[in-house]
Amino acid sequence: MEPIIEFTNVSKQLKGFAIENMNLGVNKGFVTGFIGANGAGKSTTIKLMMNLLRPDEGEVRIFGLDYATHEKAIKERIGFVYDGNVFYEGMNLKDIQRIVGPAYKRWNDALFHRYVEQFELPLNKAIKTFSKGMQMKASLALALSHQAELIIMDEPTAGLDPIFRRELLDMLQEIMLDGERTIFFSTHITSDLDRIADYIAFIKNGELMFNQSIHNVEENYGLVKGTVDLLDRDTEKLFVHVNRTQAGFEALTSNVREAGSVFGESALIEKATLEDIMYYSKRSEVHV
Amino acid sequence: MFNLIKREVIIQKKQLLLFIPFIIFFIVMDSHPVFIFLVTSLFVPFNALAFDEKTNVNVLLNSLPYTRKEIIASRYLGSLVYMAIAIGLTALALFVADRSFTFSHIALGAGLFLLFSAMTFPLFYILKQGYIFPIVMISFFLFVGGGPAVFELVSGSLQGIIQFVMGLSMPIILSGFLAIAAVIYSLSWVVSATVYERKVF
Repeated sequence: MEPIIEFTNVSKQLKGFAIENMNLGVNKGFVTGFIGANGAGKSTTIKLMMNLLRPDEGEVRIFGLDYATHEKAIKERIGFVYDGNVFYEGMNLKDIQRIVGPAYKRWNDALFHRYVEQFELPLNKAIKTFSKGMQMKASLALALSHQAELIIMDEPTAGLDPIFRRELLDMLQEIMLDGERTIFFSTHITSDLDRIADYIAFIKNGELMFNQSIHNVEENYGLVKGTVDLLDRDTEKLFVHVNRTQAGFEALTSNVREAGSVFGESALIEKATLEDIMYYSKRSEVHV
Repeated sequence: MFNLIKREVIIQKKQLLLFIPFIIFFIVMDSHPVFIFLVTSLFVPFNALAFDEKTNVNVLLNSLPYTRKEIIASRYLGSLVYMAIAIGLTALALFVADRSFTFSHIALGAGLFLLFSAMTFPLFYILKQGYIFPIVMISFFLFVGGGPAVFELVSGSLQGIIQFVMGLSMPIILSGFLAIAAVIYSLSWVVSATVYERKVF
């Protein structure tokens, strides 16, 4: 598989926060969901991808190219959607198009107008009058109109109402149909991912805990429930984290098969949701 | 690059309508031609900076296919372009208003513009967003108001130099002044580019 984004031993030290030795590969033609708690380093990672931040150590390659020599060529092929508004608030979409469009060689005005129509966006109204959902659609229209091969989005669904969120995810699914595009997006709303993600990358305290296909995540992770007498030093090794209650325990395992053979019928093993994985990992000190 | 320079007028196209009244205002107020050339040159570049101050423009520009070097270069080259246009329009307005002005006035206005820009542009990349514009406003008043006073003050101790300069012909003094302003402007460009290259967004 062709990696579109490659982080090799990337470290970045910021005030009170650090990304250490991150190795991350994002494959072409798939949607990768990037999850993690607030402050885990999602935005920092995305900034490293966009060259808004430069790594202290390690290497970031996009499309197999490095930023030091191919900055423009790389950004030509990326569409970006950020959490906050990065456009001039008082300007309308038409003027923003006049600024953003000419920056790209492959910009397509007709395509832009098609998206504007599809998303029902007003061209002559100031961006500041847009709702959060409309701002997101506007960013997306701009990101899609230069035939970007890689679309990087930082929390695109944050603050959107559930219906629009679903519409947005449908739209993303649609643009993935040709198989040429790659989407990398961060979110802390895990239900977004069940719908469209092929891969899940999970970051905790600046450290990439895993980057696996959603299928693997589903296969490997499980919630084990049982009575406390099942727990001992050996069995606890199977768990990322154990929650003890008076009635018994509930624990997350990253190795469902082994847990199944160890506990057999004596414990109840359920599928773990992404939220379960995030929740238990947050409490755990061990690697997932 | 051209697109980045053009961007500066797109973001302030409504304010541009005020440009001609702005020139006329200073002519009617009977300001000194040097001062008029200076403030009209400042109009577009500094208005653009004021707009940029209010948004996350660095995130936007750096996400588009531009390099950091180009972004800084567009500011410094663009300002020269807009200065030239402003001087042209102002000269035309002064001519129409039948106000006398000389080439020396233009050279002085342009030189002062270069000096002022050279001193303030790097601030936009060094200081934190949001604090910069008030600082620039204050420094402008200090520059225009306090400049001559400072000059008077130090002129006593600089008698030798002043006498030397006074001995030169006007064209030589002016071209020397412009050359120094241009050198300082170029140094400022280097400083801004260096700072911007290391900036974290």
